[in-house]
Amino acid sequence: MRYPAENGCQAARVCTKAGRAMRLPACGSPTVPGVITSRACPYYGARWLLAPVKETLHLVHGPVGCAYYGQTVRRKSYRILSTALDEKDVVFGGDTKLVRAVREALRLFPDARAVFVYGCCVAGLTGADLAGICRLATRATGRTVVPVSCAGFGGASQGDGHDLAADVLVRFLVGRTSPAAPASYTVNLLGEFDVAGDLQEIKMLLNQLGVSVLCTFTGEASVTSLGYAHAAALNLVHCQRTGGSLAEAMTKAFGTPALKVNFFGFAATAASLRAVAAHFGREEAAEQIIRAAETRVEPVLAELRRHLAGRRVGLYFGGSRVGSMAAAYRELGMEVVWAGAQFGQQEDYAAAWPDVADGGVLLDDARQFEIEKFLCQAQPDLFVGGVRERFLAYKYGVPFTVFPQEGKPYAGFTGFINFAQDIWRAVASPVWRLVHSQ
Amino acid sequence: MQVKEIPAEGITYDQLKIEKIPLSDEYIERDPSLVPAANRAVVINPCRTCMPLGAMFATLGVHKAIPFVQGAQGCTTYVRYTFCRIFKEPAAIANASFHEDTAVFGGWKNFIQGIRNLVVRYWPELIGVVTTCASEIIGDDMVSYIKAAKKKLAEELGEEKAAAVKIVLISTPSFAGSHVVGYDRAARAFVETLAVEKTAPNNKVNIIPGMLNPGDIREIKHLLKVMGIDSIILFDIADVFDTPLRPPATIPYYPKGGTPVADIADMANSLGTVALCPHEGGLGARYLERKFGLRAVVGPPPVGVRHTDMFLQNLSELTGRPVPEELLDERGRLLDFMADTFHHTMMKKVAVFGDPDIVVGVTRFVCELGMEPVAVLSGTPSKTFPQEIENIVREYNFAPQVFNGSDLFEFEEYLKKTRVDLILGNSKGVDIARELEVPLVRVGLFVYDRVGYQKRPVVGYRGGEFLLADIVNSLLDYKYPDDRTQQL
Repeated sequence: MRYPAENGCQAARVCTKAGRAMRLPACGSPTVPGVITSRACPYYGARWLLAPVKETLHLVHGPVGCAYYGQTVRRKSYRILSTALDEKDVVFGGDTKLVRAVREALRLFPDARAVFVYGCCVAGLTGADLAGICRLATRATGRTVVPVSCAGFGGASQGDGHDLAADVLVRFLVGRTSPAAPASYTVNLLGEFDVAGDLQEIKMLLNQLGVSVLCTFTGEASVTSLGYAHAAALNLVHCQRTGGSLAEAMTKAFGTPALKVNFFGFAATAASLRAVAAHFGREEAAEQIIRAAETRVEPVLAELRRHLAGRRVGLYFGGSRVGSMAAAYRELGMEVVWAGAQFGQQEDYAAAWPDVADGGVLLDDARQFEIEKFLCQAQPDLFVGGVRERFLAYKYGVPFTVFPQEGKPYAGFTGFINFAQDIWRAVASPVWRLVHSQ
Repeated sequence: MQVKEIPAEGITYDQLKIEKIPLSDEYIERDPSLVPAANRAVVINPCRTCMPLGAMFATLGVHKAIPFVQGAQGCTTYVRYTFCRIFKEPAAIANASFHEDTAVFGGWKNFIQGIRNLVVRYWPELIGVVTTCASEIIGDDMVSYIKAAKKKLAEELGEEKAAAVKIVLISTPSFAGSHVVGYDRAARAFVETLAVEKTAPNNKVNIIPGMLNPGDIREIKHLLKVMGIDSIILFDIADVFDTPLRPPATIPYYPKGGTPVADIADMANSLGTVALCPHEGGLGARYLERKFGLRAVVGPPPVGVRHTDMFLQNLSELTGRPVPEELLDERGRLLDFMADTFHHTMMKKVAVFGDPDIVVGVTRFVCELGMEPVAVLSGTPSKTFPQEIENIVREYNFAPQVFNGSDLFEFEEYLKKTRVDLILGNSKGVDIARELEVPLVRVGLFVYDRVGYQKRPVVGYRGGEFLLADIVNSLLDYKYPDDRTQQL
């Protein structure tokens, strides 16, 4: 597929898989203006990671809009506070307003144990001394006030916000309290956000292994659980993009080893369980769980595979899911003909590479134009992406499943059935036949 | 079987189970001196967003138009996400992708490159340039940027193709107002840029609807059609945010609808301008009045009986056409519906929140239904809002608490201490309604947690019927046991 040239475009952002030589799209570079990208800003990325942290307040230092949008993360609504900067504040500086806001917030919500202060574009441009103010506020209030300098122009995509948020978690909250006992059979889950019950599914599997989860970054995190998270024996990285830098930082600070896992897909879940089991010497238990799951899940999957085999699918994820999810579609017998991410990394594309069909396309930071071209000309049997791509796909009469998903867990063995069933529901809906019957 | 009487007093707050995002399990009495938004610097759960959203909404209401946001990527991504969630439709919005170098060197390069990249892919008929807090603070001189971009387009694509792309500048520094103000400024920017010359009269009426839903726009069109009035609707989002699924054979995808650019130019020749929402479009109507002497009728939003009467009256005066029999029947049907249901609505206490104009309209309607507004909130601060509400409630002898430019935290704390039977507002009120255990009737722009609301009108007599049905059914669903609803 060929696309029009771009002014000042980075090279080889799009590549076609042909033959065995691995060619990966160039990634990490900033988006060219005017191309209708799906990428967002560091503030978006920071909210993505920090919003679920409990026992905290979230104060957005910027115009009211940033707070209004940031209130909803992964379709969940959270309490949000804002300094709602106006013209006066922009001219004379909003620092005093920020100090007042932190104080008032803690008076209104006295049992908050920490405050995240997000510095938006305005704070970045007017040169607000976020770190200094937060230091003073910490001293004055006795509560941890965490500066998150996530100005919208401060990075290429929301990925930079993820890194930033991971950094402040480790610097300000992780390891602040010491647990009562050393926790030998415990793990932390990094980059898991408990979308639609995913976490429950993963926890159940780990519990069957005899391993318990201390803290989940950040699907089930609080100031308390972050405080003793460093006691875990192992860090499991579920999403590389959001969990990877966190794992690195924790290894450096506390010496916690990290293990990459993936609970999407049957084979991936089994492999992850085996890896975790090997670390804790529980191999036998793992084999038992996997055997039991096989007898339970396989008949259902066989039926779904019959329906889905050979169908062509296009994937467009946020970050590293493109690497971990492509295999799950292949497991269902589907053909991945187009795989992209908004802000992927080389290793994500390398992981996706074996599962992309020959002649398929890999691309980073797809423009809406490229998505439209794919939908219109290739007419795939399924397209997978976020809400912004969803209604575009429908306009071209292409079935769609949204990710992060709605409603049911996709992780684990049972989750994989949900995952496959949702695909079958999307593909089998009579509406597509009616659309194309004219 | 004996039916247990429903407590007429409703449920007081101390009887409620408290279940919310909370930091603790128990309800904590908040520091009363800090509850009013006016007393604090911090805004909690805001009920308004910033200007660019309004300008993007407006631009998308023009045929084959794409907004270009001179700012960081989040400013676009969040808004696209918001529109997708509300309308379940794609929204193409381009962005200048500000990065760190832009903050230092300014947005010139991003703008020139961005406009060019957008045009060669999408060939839009119009680009609405929407500024943001970032571009306004670094001081981007957009007027000269646009000149330079046009020159660059002409050099690369030829004069003719370059001239086919109109560019309208909408200055919307996010910190200077809410999305309501953004739409208002867009209305003015579009007529100022495009309607430059008065030629031959066209016997049409200009309608600036404000940020209403596609269903509302269709209802307005219906009223105009029955009246036999030709009109130009600026910004006609009806066939942009509610479009048919008919797969196109070619890309790029453009919705069929939107106000044609030529029609906006023609607005100078109309009989007059009706801005349905004073805060959203009033600036545009007044500009046309000053510049071309077109009569401007600003407000009120035609929600409920009296306001729709006034709207039709105004149209009648502008065009000299009488209100036809068919619309009198529609009015009669709404009145008949009100007579059928007043025993459910009378003396019920309601709270209304949202954007100022829709709140004024809905407040008038609930008063007409015999309901008592106890709290009325406009998320956007407005000079006229308290007076507009005062005019309505004085007529009905009510005295609601009026919150002007406040946030949902104050609203919630107030409602916890007073009795209320029903809340009318957008989806941001779900948490409050759940905590108070009262029904929420969804109305306004930001309704994203239920489907179909964008397709249905609340304006006009027929819209009133839909809204009334919603109000009554919500009350019945909440308060009546099944065996009683069978006996209605």
